[in-house]
Amino acid sequence: MVLFLPLLAAIGIVVFAQRNRDVSAALSIGAIVAGFLLTILFVAINGWHPITGQVTALWFAVGDLRIEFGVRLDPLSLLMLLVVTGVGGAIHIYSRGYMREDPNAGRFFASLSLFTFSMLGIVLSSGFMQMFIFWELVGVSSYLLIGFWYERPSAADASKKAFLTNRLGDFGFLLGILMVWASLGSLDFQTLESAVHANPDALGALATCAGLLIFCGAVGKSAQFPLHVWLPDAMEGPTPVSALIHAATMVAAGVYMLCRVFFLLNAPALEVIAWIGGFTSLLAAVIAIQQNDIKRILAYSTLSQLGYMVMAVGLHGTTPAMYHLTTHASFKALLFLGAGSVICALHHEQDIWKMGGLKKRMPTTYWTFLLGTLALCGIPPFSGFFSKDEILTQAFHHNPVLFGIAVLVAMLTAFYMFRLIFVAFRGTARSEASAHAHESPGIMTSPLVFLSIPTVFAGFWGIEGLFAGHGEIGMAHSPESLIGHLFSPFSHAPASAFAGIGAAGFGIMAAWRLYQDASADPIPEMIGRLSSVIRNRFYFDEIYGKLIACSHDALAQFSDSVDRWVIGGLLVKGIHGTTDLAGRALRLLQTGNIQTYALLFAIGVAGLLYFMLGNP
Amino acid sequence: MSHISTITFLLLWPFLGAIVIALLPRDFRLAIRAVALASTLFSLLLAIKVFLQFDASLLAPQFVQKVLWVEAIGISYHVGVDGLNVGLILMGAIVAFAAACVSSEIETRHKEYYFLLLVMIGGILGAFASLDLFFFYFFHELALIPTFIMIGLWGKGENRIYATYKITIYLSIGALLALIGLIALYLHAGGTTFDMIALTKQLSDSPLAPESQHLIFPLLLFGFGILVSLWPFHTWAPLGYAAAPTATAMLHAGVLKKFGLYGLIRIAIPMMPEAAHSWMHVLAFLCLGNILFCGFVAMRQKDLLLLIGNSSVAHMGFAFLGIASLNLIGITGAILVMIAHGLLAALTFALAGYLYRQTHTLRMDQIKGLLPQIPFVGTVSIMALLAGCGLPGFANFVGEVTVFFGAWKQYPFVTALSVWGALVIGGVYMLRAIRTIFHGPANEGFNKMTDAVNPLTRLPYLLLLGSLLCFGFFPRLLSDKIKPAADAVAKLAAVARESSQPIESTEATVTASSKIASSVPTSKQ
Repeated sequence: MVLFLPLLAAIGIVVFAQRNRDVSAALSIGAIVAGFLLTILFVAINGWHPITGQVTALWFAVGDLRIEFGVRLDPLSLLMLLVVTGVGGAIHIYSRGYMREDPNAGRFFASLSLFTFSMLGIVLSSGFMQMFIFWELVGVSSYLLIGFWYERPSAADASKKAFLTNRLGDFGFLLGILMVWASLGSLDFQTLESAVHANPDALGALATCAGLLIFCGAVGKSAQFPLHVWLPDAMEGPTPVSALIHAATMVAAGVYMLCRVFFLLNAPALEVIAWIGGFTSLLAAVIAIQQNDIKRILAYSTLSQLGYMVMAVGLHGTTPAMYHLTTHASFKALLFLGAGSVICALHHEQDIWKMGGLKKRMPTTYWTFLLGTLALCGIPPFSGFFSKDEILTQAFHHNPVLFGIAVLVAMLTAFYMFRLIFVAFRGTARSEASAHAHESPGIMTSPLVFLSIPTVFAGFWGIEGLFAGHGEIGMAHSPESLIGHLFSPFSHAPASAFAGIGAAGFGIMAAWRLYQDASADPIPEMIGRLSSVIRNRFYFDEIYGKLIACSHDALAQFSDSVDRWVIGGLLVKGIHGTTDLAGRALRLLQTGNIQTYALLFAIGVAGLLYFMLGNP
Repeated sequence: MSHISTITFLLLWPFLGAIVIALLPRDFRLAIRAVALASTLFSLLLAIKVFLQFDASLLAPQFVQKVLWVEAIGISYHVGVDGLNVGLILMGAIVAFAAACVSSEIETRHKEYYFLLLVMIGGILGAFASLDLFFFYFFHELALIPTFIMIGLWGKGENRIYATYKITIYLSIGALLALIGLIALYLHAGGTTFDMIALTKQLSDSPLAPESQHLIFPLLLFGFGILVSLWPFHTWAPLGYAAAPTATAMLHAGVLKKFGLYGLIRIAIPMMPEAAHSWMHVLAFLCLGNILFCGFVAMRQKDLLLLIGNSSVAHMGFAFLGIASLNLIGITGAILVMIAHGLLAALTFALAGYLYRQTHTLRMDQIKGLLPQIPFVGTVSIMALLAGCGLPGFANFVGEVTVFFGAWKQYPFVTALSVWGALVIGGVYMLRAIRTIFHGPANEGFNKMTDAVNPLTRLPYLLLLGSLLCFGFFPRLLSDKIKPAADAVAKLAAVARESSQPIESTEATVTASSKIASSVPTSKQ
């Protein structure tokens, strides 16, 4: 039900309401908000562990291949359902304000609903193939939304790049699925899980390989190194899209998928996953320091936080990963929507060095943005602190090197986020536009306020209880235990908690010292050339461009010339004598005289028959 | 002749239409077009009826009609449908109606054009409905000849004449090879009947000697292969389709081309399963040529028609791969790919024809940013191109994925490369096409485009797109009907595999294994 509402909305918009902005927005928003309420209702009635855990219907079956479509309801999917519909609903409402002047808003809301449908499809999927199908659909709706303003070359290029990079990941994902199916004979998560539990070596020597191939899918969708290049470019899409797809939900699908198929991943595969996650988070955090576009800073920060989550999964910590995913979805969506509000107020100016002094002019945006930033930096008692702390604890216990990286990233995060705050919101206006900015209308600020509630308080809930099995979100039952919960990070693992806060504090101090009254970025002077390398994102795009040019495109060129000159030319022209002769003969027949043709044909067949019958 | 099968009526309508058109005066253009539309529409309705009434639980062919024709050598008019062709006939009828719809682009010699079109359609449907070798081949030739003439007379572009020669020669050679193979098959099987059902049964009871199997099978494989543009005999296809009038390209690329694949599944494999086993390795590697090589070639094309022509060749690779796997999943997948690709190829060529009429060029460096001007055609084109790179929701995805599952166990390496071809290479060229033609700022000089606004103009596109989506969302509509027949073919192949174990265990090079296969007598003999 929740799943199909957005699909109906999308179809309804395409068929009836493409020209009417109000109706299409209402349909789209109505569908997702209804989905959110239904989910809450469902959880309220059935709890987190519903009795009917899985309902499936056969979609396609040939021989051993059974592809089922189903709905799988367990704490993991229900939690994700709440995130997608809750955060998504806020963003849908916000979009109504953001896109109010766009003539194609109908198309926008149709794509948005298509996306919501596919995302919910991933979340609820009960088997690999269903997940892959919705995985692809999410990819294409993201393609449509990034390329929403397709008349801008940059947006059209970015959408193409995002789709193709994701396709690379999907290539591995599909191979992994094929491999799992070939060894275990099923695509259903439940069946697979019991098969693996019954016999941990069921996958045999292929286990690591299959696990890593499936991880490829997550690398693409969650934009991990080395396929991270599409996410920053995806910021060409409208800002609500960046918030919904490229911060809160779609990019988290990779992490969600890893948690879902965690039982398939063995130790060596997890090791690789952890290192890739750690490396991505560090790389992205370093790049974020030297970006000047407000959305790109947030994009790299998203990359970095996704790296955190992937690392957590790699360190056997699916619960911390999902926890961070949940909190991150709300505060990062909040940050993006805040950025969107700023961009709208400044008439689509995105350079933070052309902002400044926005604190006074846009107070709601400023304060909610600040809350989001504090949560992102992991300052207690905001939600980000608790989830980040769990990841740090996980790293502390499993891998000291990755723990070091994680702490370093926490410091860098605080640094670049407060750089953004100081430059964009404090100080004095650096341009005409920012001097005359106005607060955004209520339809845009109210989602900000709504999202800041979980941003501040989600930390108190915790989700450990959810996965531990007794099925209540751990909303503390009494004041003492609430306080106990608040301070539990310090009593459980003081080292990681203090390291996290210390790193964040250090980062904030550094940002404060450097950017409090800065009119230009002082860092390039301090580190010289390195700064331009960072600003150019370590030249990944350029390197990939060259790499593709000298591999894939070169192969294509080679094939084309072989096709044209060898197969099409030499071989065919080599028998040109016959060709020409036959051609001349044919020209006689080209008059359209069908009787002659039919006659010749009949003679030919008769002759052959005679020949073959005569000499068997 | 107490009752006449629906299938016969289905075939009769296009031919009747052709006769009526031949009798109509040349000036009655509207009437000629109306006759063509009506006769294809009737065929389509009958095909839908057959499809819906087809009972998947029966193995034997249904809607059968058999009339003995030449008793001495066992030729009879024998038509009917089973799981292998029921979907193909439906697809053919859909494409035929769509092709008649888009034929309004023709401006000269209406009478001849529609006459040939209807003969071609009748031949196509007849070839797929026939259960008799002679008529199977005869109907195919009947469809092929109008193809050549139509390309030559109503074709477009400078390369038209060259393309006509090329496609004629290639396809004639392919058809000739297949004909020799079929006749040899007929003779080696005793020379008593052309009936496919009887032949299949007879040959599964007493298989042909391995020597003759290995003589005949390659003839059929390459004969049919050339007809389906098997790499490296594919160069006729993109050129020919680029030059062909829209309806001809739709019918040939969409339906007639599948004749070769259908022949492999219907005749070559069930009748000569042992030879099939040793040759399938070859086919598996050649299909990589289609998928990868032609995919790469498609990436380099500057002309939209050549691009979709090459991509159509590349898609044939998936059908070949499914056939090469020789198991139930693979063969079902191959038929799904055939149907899906038929609808898709017809749709893309129809759209390209529409664009060409508007712009008079399809060079991608000249036409840019068309989407805002032609939202309907643009949107449908983007959907078609996305379907071409295997997006779920369209029937192509189901077919390709099924093929991958079927082929994975036999040819993991080939399958992995094919997945690359499907997901990555396909994605690259399709998205490049969308990016240049529809996205981005518009180019000067192409700002007087008109969109298809008339519901009748939109009908063929919507019909094809709708069927793709329908089978994409509900693949069981097709797969449940295909499965039993595909299972029968796969079982015949599996029996042969057990009886020729020594061949299978020799994992030497392809040529070596086929040589050994021809020298090792099978246990059945």
